Amino acid sequence: MARIICTRLAVLSVTLTLAFGIAGRPARAALDMYVGARNVVKDGTVSDCDSKASRALISVLGRSGEVGDTHEWEATGAVDTAGSSFAAAAVHCYPLDGGGYVVTFTCAAQTPPAPETASVICSQLADHFGGQH
Amino acid sequence: MSRRVRRIAVAAAAIVTAMIWCGSSAPAAVDFSVGIRYVSDTGSLSECSAKAKQSLDAFLLGTSESSPGSGDWSAHSANGVNGTPTATAVVRCFGLARGFVVTFTCAVQLPDNPFTADALCHDVAHKFHGSGAITSLAAIPTPTPEPTGCAPNSLVGTWVSDDNPKLTFSMGLNGDLTDSEGVSGNWSLKGTTATLIYYGNHTLTLSADARHLHGGGYSLTRKC
Repeated sequence: MARIICTRLAVLSVTLTLAFGIAGRPARAALDMYVGARNVVKDGTVSDCDSKASRALISVLGRSGEVGDTHEWEATGAVDTAGSSFAAAAVHCYPLDGGGYVVTFTCAAQTPPAPETASVICSQLADHFGGQH
Repeated sequence: MSRRVRRIAVAAAAIVTAMIWCGSSAPAAVDFSVGIRYVSDTGSLSECSAKAKQSLDAFLLGTSESSPGSGDWSAHSANGVNGTPTATAVVRCFGLARGFVVTFTCAVQLPDNPFTADALCHDVAHKFHGSGAITSLAAIPTPTPEPTGCAPNSLVGTWVSDDNPKLTFSMGLNGDLTDSEGVSGNWSLKGTTATLIYYGNHTLTLSADARHLHGGGYSLTRKC
């Protein structure tokens, strides 16, 4: 009986050691910021840019908001149970004299735990923005 | 339920519990600042770039242009306690028919970084503009250096069992210990009284020269 208990305890200890060893390995969370694309669109208005920016941010990060009335749009990624977010992006629209606009994408992520790097987020944003007609 | 299935279930539950417990510490969050933009009716893209570099250099390190002539500039802070930068800022210049437009975007890791993304962006933008209050930004906390030698206030180092030289313990800065077979535990030290949590709790005494630990069934000597 004592031998069985000892064997079980030993197996449990090894299991716990392995699990703690794997999960307890310190994950170095690094701040990652990316200067994404800058595009000049000659046949559009800044309100077109605003609409596309908002929709692209919602598609990629699930939300979007304009900073005041500036044509600068931002979004943060999903929040965890503590209310923290690990990804964010900004899309800046600026009207050009003579028509058209310039749009830029700038992104940040903390990996881990964010599943995507800032570069991937910016690439997805530019794709969603450019894919709208 | 067979005995084997029951054992597997217990092992699985132990693994899940341990992993949830270990993973429960909340990592830092990203704090993002967007919205500062200046439009200048005069000046060129290269003037904007020069000011962008200068203003980033005033607060951060490693200022660089994403591609030569692009007008897109970024820089990062010194390494934080985790050994990586905890703050970054991006200044993007775009030449207009007359003048330029410049935007400021910042991100910091909280709580590792001692100032917010807004504070950083305001300082960089005010420096760029040449007006507006500049708040002094607290220094980035640097990683705690690993004690070397036989520090009397720490058990950090490699310890060898006097009874069995093949048995060694590596004790880390964060109170962790691992023996030569990979079994882990913890240590703490109060005065000269040390506690090892390793197959149970053991109380030991640290010698005056901080090289020897005795008690609790162990006799260890530190390599230093």
